[in-house]
Amino acid sequence: MANHEITAHTRDGQALSFVCGEDENLLGAAERQNIFLPSQCRKGSCGACVAKVRMGTYEIGAVHSELLHPRERAEGHVLLCRTTPHSSLALDLPYDHAFVRRQRVPERWAEILSLKTVAPGTRHLLLALDEDDLYGRAADFEPGQYMEIGVPGTTDRRAYSLANVTNWEGHLEFVIQQRPAGLFSRYLESAKVGDRLSVKGPLGVFTLQEHGLHPRWFIGGGTGVVPLLSMLRRMAEWGESHPAHLYFGAHDAESLFFTSVLRELQGELPQLQVKYCVSTVETRGEHQGNILDTLAADLKSAGTSPDLYLCGSPRLVQGARACALTHGVAPERIYAERFTSA
Amino acid sequence: MFCYQCEQTNKLAGLAGCTVAPGTCGKDETTADLQDLLIHQAKGIAQYAHRARALGVVDKDLDAFLLYALFTTLTNVNFHIPRFQQLIQEAAKRRDAIRDRYIEAATARGIPPETLFGPADFQPAEGLEQLLAQALHVSVRAGEASVGADVVGLRALILYGMKGVAAYAHHARVLGYQDDEVDAGVEAMLDYLAQDPTDIEDLLEHALGVGHLNLRVMELLDAANTGSFGAQEISSVRITPVKGKAILVSGHDLHDLQLILEQTQDQGIHIYTHGEMLPAHAYPELKRYPHLTGHWGGAWQDQQREFADFPGPIVVTSNCIIEPGRSYKNRLFTTGPVGWPGVRHLEHGNFAPVIQAAKAMPGFTADADTEKRLTIGFGRHTLLGVADKVVDAVKNGDISHFFLVGGCDGAASTRHYFTDVAARAPRDSVVMTLGCGKFRFNKEEFGDIGGIPRLLDMGQCNDAHSAIQVASALASAFQCGVNDLPLSYMVSWFEQKATAVLLSLLALGIKGIYWGPTWPGYMTPHLVQEFQSRFELKLISDAQSDLRAELA
Repeated sequence: MANHEITAHTRDGQALSFVCGEDENLLGAAERQNIFLPSQCRKGSCGACVAKVRMGTYEIGAVHSELLHPRERAEGHVLLCRTTPHSSLALDLPYDHAFVRRQRVPERWAEILSLKTVAPGTRHLLLALDEDDLYGRAADFEPGQYMEIGVPGTTDRRAYSLANVTNWEGHLEFVIQQRPAGLFSRYLESAKVGDRLSVKGPLGVFTLQEHGLHPRWFIGGGTGVVPLLSMLRRMAEWGESHPAHLYFGAHDAESLFFTSVLRELQGELPQLQVKYCVSTVETRGEHQGNILDTLAADLKSAGTSPDLYLCGSPRLVQGARACALTHGVAPERIYAERFTSA
Repeated sequence: MFCYQCEQTNKLAGLAGCTVAPGTCGKDETTADLQDLLIHQAKGIAQYAHRARALGVVDKDLDAFLLYALFTTLTNVNFHIPRFQQLIQEAAKRRDAIRDRYIEAATARGIPPETLFGPADFQPAEGLEQLLAQALHVSVRAGEASVGADVVGLRALILYGMKGVAAYAHHARVLGYQDDEVDAGVEAMLDYLAQDPTDIEDLLEHALGVGHLNLRVMELLDAANTGSFGAQEISSVRITPVKGKAILVSGHDLHDLQLILEQTQDQGIHIYTHGEMLPAHAYPELKRYPHLTGHWGGAWQDQQREFADFPGPIVVTSNCIIEPGRSYKNRLFTTGPVGWPGVRHLEHGNFAPVIQAAKAMPGFTADADTEKRLTIGFGRHTLLGVADKVVDAVKNGDISHFFLVGGCDGAASTRHYFTDVAARAPRDSVVMTLGCGKFRFNKEEFGDIGGIPRLLDMGQCNDAHSAIQVASALASAFQCGVNDLPLSYMVSWFEQKATAVLLSLLALGIKGIYWGPTWPGYMTPHLVQEFQSRFELKLISDAQSDLRAELA
């Protein structure tokens, strides 16, 4: 079986290379050579390992259409975990070289410090990492990243975005939308303070872009707001002065959570404007309507084109991206992460 | 974007200079342009401050701001766009305030106040895009088409020398050492630049003026360091780690280091120095802290590996900072003029977040297998204390020659020259070092001559003052001029403090300095010729040839 030379360029222009046979996928081949590219589900259903093929021929396996639109496929976008080369390939990776690991992602243990309901079907989970020789107590991650939490009693893991910022107490904070058939959701029904969980991470490349001074607009639907909260907390703690808008979308007003947390955050980040966008007319009250309509109206009247951070369902992300492009936001200034049900 | 202030500037496109972002140092176009604007404003402030001083109006806080502002634009100091936006708006307010005080003082004396133009008249725009449009007109090469590259090159030489002056003066100031003569000199020199001078002879004279000013500043910083921490003394520094929690302190700011030592007392945290902070171990008032444990790593260009390997938080107090690796960025802190996007900046001398990080991180889990040490602390007090012994060794023929191998280090392979000079220097010669260039060879065994170590580290780059004092003392002992001493200067440069030091050596009339690894980008072939003929300044070639020439 032929081995093909794969050359990949990260967003900051650095090159890395590995070889890949026709009987393996690109993600696995890279890992075999100690190049750990950002990924998550490894089965074509999360979209975390997206890349673009600039040159070469390949075959791509089954991929959820929400994750790879036919137009994107036509442009050469692939999921590395589902792609097998038929020739040498040149790839573009949509993240900086700093996100390429040369070692396996850390796996640690943590204990539940608290577990609270913050909205109907929405739980706030706070974990404390165990101290270990390599990392001490530190919880070291970039705002916007996520952890995979092992589901007790199974070999499965579920990915959840972090809501807090890197810290020295070892705290990992999550807000989790419980789903009736969800594996981790079912565990949470009986979870209690003191339970021990394995955590793997940090993972993900949906992070704050630190260079530049463009206004930052954050658009999140439901718990999609969680990584955005981490980014805003980071801005507050670091004293960053970029103008910031948060659009928090929910189906109904009862589903909104952390409103008091966001009010407090506005005290530390005075330039932050928060708009709650509620779809259901009956419960809307004083809140804004549909999040995409609200975004479109604000983009239309914005003086300076912002950097956009989108997180939520594939439908929300695609809608917000299309809306932004229509209003002249450059594609390279749109950063997005799509949630899929687990 | 255009920048050619450091040695590492792009030299591939014919004209030396970084024209495409990011520059070699990692500076992006916006940062580079905002730095140009801030420099322009510093000149504008100086225009009024210089005239106000002549009328008895002195604003020391404003002078501190000028030094700080210039320092932020030094190579590898600050890359944080919002900080520059804030500084630009602050500079405009400070300029307005000193302008008003100048007009008031002039009016009170019945003198018609001058109406000043150029930088003094500059109004920064509010928005970033408008600011960047303004920056197009204040680039370091502005006006080159009409005045020529020689004039622009000499203006750049003066400006960059002044950045070095500002950095040293800032370090002295944070230790409480300020000098009106220095402040007046800084204002006068920036005011001179604000006039867009064009006379080559006058520019050369002012360049040497920067050198003289820097001599006074290095003297002030020497007084600040020795006054605060005592005279350097011969000291043995551990360069291998010991088990325990740890903090690494990089840069040059001894004041920050002392604050960290003070705030970590009795907390079970070991403090390690990095890079140019090495000489701290030779100052009695710093080495008295038992938890000033050792030194970690070498020169600045290796920091990405060395910081990644250090199991605790890292504080960068001055240049050089380069793009932090993902693995250590969240435990990296900056102070003073330093800044990097996404890196926590500490103010007001409160290092509590660093201490918290040190306690959370594992630190070194075991002592190093082998304990290794360096001997340092050969500042002027130490050397002048044994001057008689040194003079006797020279008179007896035991010491044939001295080499001052000083200055900055960098990544270029041609800098291996300085290692070769130290390694190939005759066994009966003494090598004196200062700056971070020494890390290339200071762990080697050089032996001694009758008890005098052959490798004598005099300290940080600003300890060039010590070297000058020692040279003067030797000249006095031998009743000759400094140029007649068996002393050769091999100076490596990277950033603008080295530029200031070079101008100081030239201002003292020292000739025949070997300088490298390359000429600065702003030195045109004609300027190089001038410096070669006036000061016998030489570009390094190969160590063997240069040593042969010096020992002939």
